[in-house]
Amino acid sequence: MEGIKNIIKKELTRVFTDKKLVISLFILPGVLIMVMYSIMGGLISNLEKDIEAHIPTVYIQNAPEDFGYIIDIVDYSGHITYLASSDSTDSITDGILKGDIDLLVIFDEDFRETIQSYKEIGDAIPEVRTFYNPTEDYSNAAKGNFTASVLYTYQQSLLAERFGNIEQLQIFHIDRNPDAGIIVDESKASGKFLAMLLPFLINIMLFQGAMGLGMDSITGEKERGTLASMLLSPIKRSEIVFGKLISLGILTSLSAVIYTVSVVIGIQRLSGGATGLMGNIKFTPVQIIQLFAMLIVLVYLYVSMVALVAVYARTQKEAGTYVTPLYILVMLGSIMTMFSSGAEKGIEYYAIPIYNGAIAMQDLLVGELTMAKFGVTVGSLALVAFLLTTLITRAFNSERVMFNA
Amino acid sequence: MIQINDLTKVYKLTKKQMTEQKTKKNMMKAVDKLSLRAKPGEIYGLLGPNGAGKTTVLRCIATLLKPTQGDITVKGYDTVKDSENVRKTIGFLTNEIKLDPQFSPRYMFGFFGRLHGLNEEAIDKRREELFDYFGIKDFEDKKIDELSSGMKQKASLAVSLVHNPEVIIFDEPTNGLDIITARNVTDYLKLLRNEGKTVIISTHIMTEAEKLCDRIGIIINGILVTEGSLAEILEKTDSKDLEDAFFELFKIYNKEEE
Repeated sequence: MEGIKNIIKKELTRVFTDKKLVISLFILPGVLIMVMYSIMGGLISNLEKDIEAHIPTVYIQNAPEDFGYIIDIVDYSGHITYLASSDSTDSITDGILKGDIDLLVIFDEDFRETIQSYKEIGDAIPEVRTFYNPTEDYSNAAKGNFTASVLYTYQQSLLAERFGNIEQLQIFHIDRNPDAGIIVDESKASGKFLAMLLPFLINIMLFQGAMGLGMDSITGEKERGTLASMLLSPIKRSEIVFGKLISLGILTSLSAVIYTVSVVIGIQRLSGGATGLMGNIKFTPVQIIQLFAMLIVLVYLYVSMVALVAVYARTQKEAGTYVTPLYILVMLGSIMTMFSSGAEKGIEYYAIPIYNGAIAMQDLLVGELTMAKFGVTVGSLALVAFLLTTLITRAFNSERVMFNA
Repeated sequence: MIQINDLTKVYKLTKKQMTEQKTKKNMMKAVDKLSLRAKPGEIYGLLGPNGAGKTTVLRCIATLLKPTQGDITVKGYDTVKDSENVRKTIGFLTNEIKLDPQFSPRYMFGFFGRLHGLNEEAIDKRREELFDYFGIKDFEDKKIDELSSGMKQKASLAVSLVHNPEVIIFDEPTNGLDIITARNVTDYLKLLRNEGKTVIISTHIMTEAEKLCDRIGIIINGILVTEGSLAEILEKTDSKDLEDAFFELFKIYNKEEE
């Protein structure tokens, strides 16, 4: 035990006395994540504001006489050009394609007359056609706005003209106040958003932390020839392995906490209110213990996965190559939870390492993790991690692995 | 005391190593039925050209490698069955085993002292002695990364002796050292011998072996071809000095191998 304690102390001292390492492992990634999300958020809101502020260029062909009146009523702002039916629209559709012009609206010829002369079923109904470019943000917004404000209002006013009392057509209302009708468990609703995102983030962050640190602390030491001096001390190889794994676990957890906090802060900037929902999540003490237990076994598993690769690799470069497939595996396991339906999964799914960590965390966040599922998850993760530890200890005892002999 | 009985060490070669060494055999015998005994109060020198198997022998004694055949005991402890006790007894130094460059000699000394089960008081006392002897005090708090190679060697030396081992194993002790540091090291080895410790070193430098070693074993292609004091070896080979003696033996045994 003394040996393990000594090694942990040394490993932690090593990291925390190296300013460059502290910056590159903890501070820089955290700051970068925050900055990245903040910039993304800033750009998105700028884009939205820009679209809102843009005054669209609209061409209207065959506009009925009273149409200008409607445009005034809704106070539609846009550079509007009216075209006669004889004018060619080719140059305008061309402009829409290029993004110079935002919208072309074409009324059928004799629009008003056709409406006036409508008598019974089968009589002609005139059409308004809009031409826009959905890949252009301005054009897309212009079409939406024009339809919703101008054309809808025009339609309503013509309906009123035809029937006098427009309420006769309404017959009944559907949800005059939609928000009042939402019945939801606030904690579960916010859990749902986070349940999709958080397991993925935590998995990735944990593995990333373990990856950077593990390769330096094991392959790096092997490469620098400093591991051999530890192998010469009168302690068991398993003590060295546990000392390394525990210190890696501590550092990995720390970096995961920093990364996750940065992501959460960053996302808050990104989407404004979305993570305000987080305040609604309430954990019971049992859930907190469950989450904690799961995080610990996950850290243990990831650290031992990386350590096993790191101990076999001869150089850090080699270790980097070997660890990439594992990284992809972890990503895959956690991405799968992002796109799975809420359907109840059988208990056997909770025995699949990596994947089970993500789905169990997802269940926990929406309050649906049963004790059985929790038990199977933690048990299978711990079992795999323990098997890996045995393999690592064996590698530490192998002269071929340690001394390339 | 170190007792080696019929030590044979065979390395399995990977395909890559086979092409590198231009051999079709997937096994390489680094040491072949080697037996020797190094006694307390003497410096035993393993002399041989590069690749003769000196380092392999020393690493087997230090429990880093396991013998393919034969056995080794250090102070009565078997290097395979009782490796932890062997490691308590020995101090092992080689150029390939280094101290973590991120730490100071002072920290490393304490770290390895604790791994050897020493308490802080014992570590402080021992550090005072060794750092004073090797002149490490001036740079004991500097990062090892910032030290010159001579300083690094001194620090490694002091750290490997933190637990005051009874058996000292040195692989090429003066390799890469300047003349003053080298003299410092060899003087210290003599001091250890005079204190009654068992010292075994490997070297390919004839003069070092002549001046330093009480007994010399010449190793060629993994075989211990002769053993004895300098005078005995010179007499056996009818040579004027160790270099002549070595080449006499080399002519005979290197041919046999082919």
